Amino acid sequence: MSQPELVTVTIDGREVQVPKGLGLVEVALQAGIEIPVFCYEPRLGPPVGACRMCLVELEGVPKLQAGCTLTAADGMKVRTAQTSAKAAEGQDATLEFILVNHPLDCPVCDKGGECPLQDLTFRWGPGNTRMEFPKRTLEKPIPVSPAIALDRERCILCYRCTRFSESVAEDNQLVTQNRGASSVIATFDDRPYRAPFSGNVIELCPVGALTSTQYRFEARPWEIQNVPTVCGLCPVGCNVAATTREGKVKRMLSRNHPEVDEGWLCDKGRFAFTHLYAGDRLIEPLRRRQRSGLEEISWEDALDEAERLLRESGGRIVTALSGSETVEQAYALGRLLRGGLGAHTAVMPEETSQALDAFRLPLSAIREAELVVVLGDEPVAERAPVVELWLKAARRAGAEVHYAGDAHESCRRLAGSDDELGGRLRESERAILIWSGEDGAGGGHVAALARELGFDGKPGSGAFHLPRTANGRGVADAWACSDDGESEAPEQIGLLIVSGDEAAADPNVRVLAERAERVLVTSMFQSLAAGWADLVLPGTSYLERDGTTVNLEGRLQRQRRAVMAPVPDVVAWIAKLAERFGVELSPHVSVVFDEIGAKCFGGITFADVHERAELPPRAEKVSDTSKVSDTVASGSGLRLVAYRPLFSGAAVERTPELQFQKPEAEVQISPEDAKARGVRNGATVTVSSNGTSVELRARIARDLGAGVVRIPRDHAGDLHATVEVSA
Amino acid sequence: MGLKTMLLAGADEHDLTRLAEYQAIGGYKQAPKALAMSSDDLIAELQQANLRGRGGAGFPLGRKASLVDRKSPKPKYLVVNADESEPGAFKDREVMARVPHRLLEGCLIAAHAIESKDVFIYIRGEYLTEYEILQAAVDEARGAGLFGDVNVTVYRGAGAYICGEETALLDSLEGRRGQPRPRPPFPPVQGLYMAPTEINNVCTIATLPAILELGAAGFDQIGTPSSPGTVLFSISGNVEKPGNYELELGTSMRELIYTHAGGIAGGHQLKAVIPGGSSVPALTARQIDVPLDYDSLGAIGTFFGAASLIVVDERCCMVQLALRSTKFYMHESCGKCTPCREGTRWLVQILEKIERGDGEAADLDLLRKVCDRIEGKSLCALGDFAVWPVQSYFDKWHDEWVAHVEQGGCPFGGESSLEGIFAPSDQHTHSPVAEVPA
Amino acid sequence: MIPELRALGERYPDSRTAVLPALRLVQEQNGGWLTTESFEQVGEALGLTPAYCQAVASFYDMFHLAPVGRHSVEVCTNLSCALVGAQQVVDAFESELGVAPGETTEDGEITLRTVECLGGCGYATVVAVDHRYHQHVKPDDVPEIVKELRGA
Repeated sequence: MSQPELVTVTIDGREVQVPKGLGLVEVALQAGIEIPVFCYEPRLGPPVGACRMCLVELEGVPKLQAGCTLTAADGMKVRTAQTSAKAAEGQDATLEFILVNHPLDCPVCDKGGECPLQDLTFRWGPGNTRMEFPKRTLEKPIPVSPAIALDRERCILCYRCTRFSESVAEDNQLVTQNRGASSVIATFDDRPYRAPFSGNVIELCPVGALTSTQYRFEARPWEIQNVPTVCGLCPVGCNVAATTREGKVKRMLSRNHPEVDEGWLCDKGRFAFTHLYAGDRLIEPLRRRQRSGLEEISWEDALDEAERLLRESGGRIVTALSGSETVEQAYALGRLLRGGLGAHTAVMPEETSQALDAFRLPLSAIREAELVVVLGDEPVAERAPVVELWLKAARRAGAEVHYAGDAHESCRRLAGSDDELGGRLRESERAILIWSGEDGAGGGHVAALARELGFDGKPGSGAFHLPRTANGRGVADAWACSDDGESEAPEQIGLLIVSGDEAAADPNVRVLAERAERVLVTSMFQSLAAGWADLVLPGTSYLERDGTTVNLEGRLQRQRRAVMAPVPDVVAWIAKLAERFGVELSPHVSVVFDEIGAKCFGGITFADVHERAELPPRAEKVSDTSKVSDTVASGSGLRLVAYRPLFSGAAVERTPELQFQKPEAEVQISPEDAKARGVRNGATVTVSSNGTSVELRARIARDLGAGVVRIPRDHAGDLHATVEVSA
Repeated sequence: MGLKTMLLAGADEHDLTRLAEYQAIGGYKQAPKALAMSSDDLIAELQQANLRGRGGAGFPLGRKASLVDRKSPKPKYLVVNADESEPGAFKDREVMARVPHRLLEGCLIAAHAIESKDVFIYIRGEYLTEYEILQAAVDEARGAGLFGDVNVTVYRGAGAYICGEETALLDSLEGRRGQPRPRPPFPPVQGLYMAPTEINNVCTIATLPAILELGAAGFDQIGTPSSPGTVLFSISGNVEKPGNYELELGTSMRELIYTHAGGIAGGHQLKAVIPGGSSVPALTARQIDVPLDYDSLGAIGTFFGAASLIVVDERCCMVQLALRSTKFYMHESCGKCTPCREGTRWLVQILEKIERGDGEAADLDLLRKVCDRIEGKSLCALGDFAVWPVQSYFDKWHDEWVAHVEQGGCPFGGESSLEGIFAPSDQHTHSPVAEVPA
Repeated sequence: MIPELRALGERYPDSRTAVLPALRLVQEQNGGWLTTESFEQVGEALGLTPAYCQAVASFYDMFHLAPVGRHSVEVCTNLSCALVGAQQVVDAFESELGVAPGETTEDGEITLRTVECLGGCGYATVVAVDHRYHQHVKPDDVPEIVKELRGA
């Protein structure tokens, strides 16, 4: 990369050297000067110059200029409100106009105390009002969706929210209606804003116009604490802050990690925290009694019971992990079971591999790419939502984004020497592969493809695998390094240990439970544990524990306890049990981590995992036996992709504000396949495979290639991998 | 100086909407001449002619063409601004209705200068008849093979004054809400579909065949040195013979009003002239001995603008005139930037209070200050357009404003020529939004 | 309808440009105003969301988002027309039609509107009847215009 040309800009008499073309707001910041803004937000695309808060005097130009739309040029001389009376008057005027119809209902506004409009008025605005006419009064609040309320009187029409909808999420659902002073923010026909990233508009709003229905009237800014942590609901690991008041989580905010999430969150990550307070949350341990079901017991008794189950199993133990545990939880379990009982058999939620470490890149590299190929038909947004925003950003930046279809088949095709797209991937210096499907060998297949395409030694080219679980990689690594022993899987399972809600909800784990003499489940929710467990130990959420996780980039990130769990800490009670089996294990996460760090993270300590974690460098050499997939799709007909929707799972089920986001009972079909079968958009169709069928509404999806249909897993019934669709 | 036909030459004697008749008087002979030149030479010729834009800003066409990034790998676009919406202006309409082929020939010349193969004519949606005439002319000329490989598309607007602003026009032409874009980037670098684009007014483009015919040097002989050529002036309001008059630039305003337009109607007295369409500062009866050209009008604190004079007689209350004008700009404010959106609405409230007779001295002061606070702060010029007339009515007819306050009502006592005028803003809702009583 | 709208989209370098023509076509075929379904149709044909189409339509005066009469009478009341008596023309239409500006006659035939400058300032007062200009309209001309319209 060549160094950008430096230019000299004088701002309020201070000279600064900045790269040519840098935005004036940033130039001023480098000079230690703040240019106040409302509409300016570089993450939303080019500046629009709408709010006029940033007016400055530019030498040689008679009219005041919007600072946000100016860029650094050599010799440019700018005076802001700090030294220009004209600019100060301009900003004062802007604020006066903004406030002419603003209700000034700050005492009852959720934004009060953390409101840019309040802050800028305090510093730059008029001290009184000359407006004496009745202010505009409009119906309020308008439910933009069950999760978002809109107060049109407070809105200052900065268009941040609509620009997000148009230019970041590209859902084009939140728009401006009408013109001039009658302009309002609205959805189509007042229908809910139904899109995976809608909640970001709340955070973007510089006033109290768009508020979270969950947070409305819940807290004042001086009563809250924002705890920096990392979302635990998907493998992206977006950096978040949990706002807490009196020991309860009240909302989630983004905490912009520019390489991971750029400050965007999906609605699951933002709104699903309410599962902490679900009605069926388990607080007390439960034990099965003959015929009378589960009874509540004390934690003392529960640990005794757990010890008894462990001892009686005679080491014939199988552990089913969720992949949502922290590294420390998985390690602690491993120390107890493997070190204390020689029980080395574990069922992992998915395959993991180190092969991708050689092609590691930050997610933000997707935007820098010129060519991106997505392998697999699972919608990226459903698997790893924020990755979808990076893909959209890449497309806007001019990248070519290809959806190659079936992951295994396209993997082989691209590796072939005569494939056109494969050839371009080989030639490119900035190409990215993304595996978005099942059975990717933990990234092994896509890593083998990257190697085949010559991505080694190309720092701008890399590959990602979108796993199913939030911390599958961290859990697998921690379990692996917790002990060196090995054993055969027991023929007869004496005790099945089910760690966490995802494992508890997994049908394959349920099948194992039927073969087990005893079942011990840790879960947050009664309904996931009732009916099959002999002992239930209440679990905790990612918001209630300290520890680390590894995201899909391979970035080790720190989760912090935002609030105390209503139940004992998992690592702490495992440590207690471990002691009874003569295993030395600290109940303190930091000590546990240091032990793991030494064994499997190159010797780093807990204190080394920063709040904005760095991505480890690419691995020079990985012991890699991965190969390009040889899985071949079988059968004739349409291949069914039964995907797990973003808005599903235990946390979403327990969030009232997200119920409207759950996917419809519909089958997505390509235009070609629809035409061939006479299927019309919106019509009810029968999807069938060998002896089983379901009725669904058809949706013609233009992004889908021929030969594939997609159905949300919950609506796919018992359909097989190959289906037929009939009108 | 005085009457001279160039734009409308031949239109009184022939039906120039018909291709054959236009060709019979020498039509479509200039475009081939232009096409035989290199685009550099053509631009040089146009720059020498110093044809200033007739849309309002008066920016020389040749210079504008020279700024177009012709080296860009993207397509180059020529866009003709036929969104004539400035109150007082109706000259583009006459050109399109009577000499459509002259406009189209101008398009071919301008397109060649910027190496464009794609011409869009954005015509305001209300001009249905003119659209039909123009579209028929396009079809006929294309059918006759006169366009070569140039595509000419006539695109209809849908009712928004702001789309006359060139970047708002581009947004509208791209199928968006027609709101102005920040500049830079300027359209010659990044315009329609982010590609280099030249935008010119109808009368500007329709003048090009005459420039090719006369040559830059010949064209320069007409009008004044800094404002060569003729202009089709629209004159309306309280004159005997309102209409369009094509005059050499530099003709005196008095001559237009009293000689060509027949003077003030019904024996009334001249009170004010708004010389460039409703958006510019007004002149008093004592200021009309001024040559009609860009610089002379600029020198007395107003603008040549859209060359559209609205003549006002003594029966008109200037507060009512200000109120009606401001209601228009409030109605047409696109809503993008704060001062224009909020300020115009506030101005209407203050003006209504004064006209009602409830105003106090402080309201007059506030009115003037709010105008000053809008001026020069908005994203495009609409904010200025809203306040320039009000400022001038306020300053030049100040006694009337004071009288409203002192008499507790309109001194015209219900006899003003604008009494009871109804503005669409009073009834306008694009889509219903529930307002609740305060 | 959808194929016609798609065809409009193909006439321009970017199909988005066809939004205004598409909305106009749908409006014409829907009795002069746009409904929820209109936006869904245009959106589907041009690959845009209905929200986007509604946002665009609500910006422009010539799109109507509520029912209108079979005919429209639009009186310019901007400066030039106002200076020579547009208000008296509006009054004449009001009494002839029995409705105020912005309203539609009870039989659903005629919507009366006042509008901003139509670009006929030299021929005031300008009245657009079903989008065709009548110029130099005086209050006395109004009964004849209404009669013609009712007979049409």
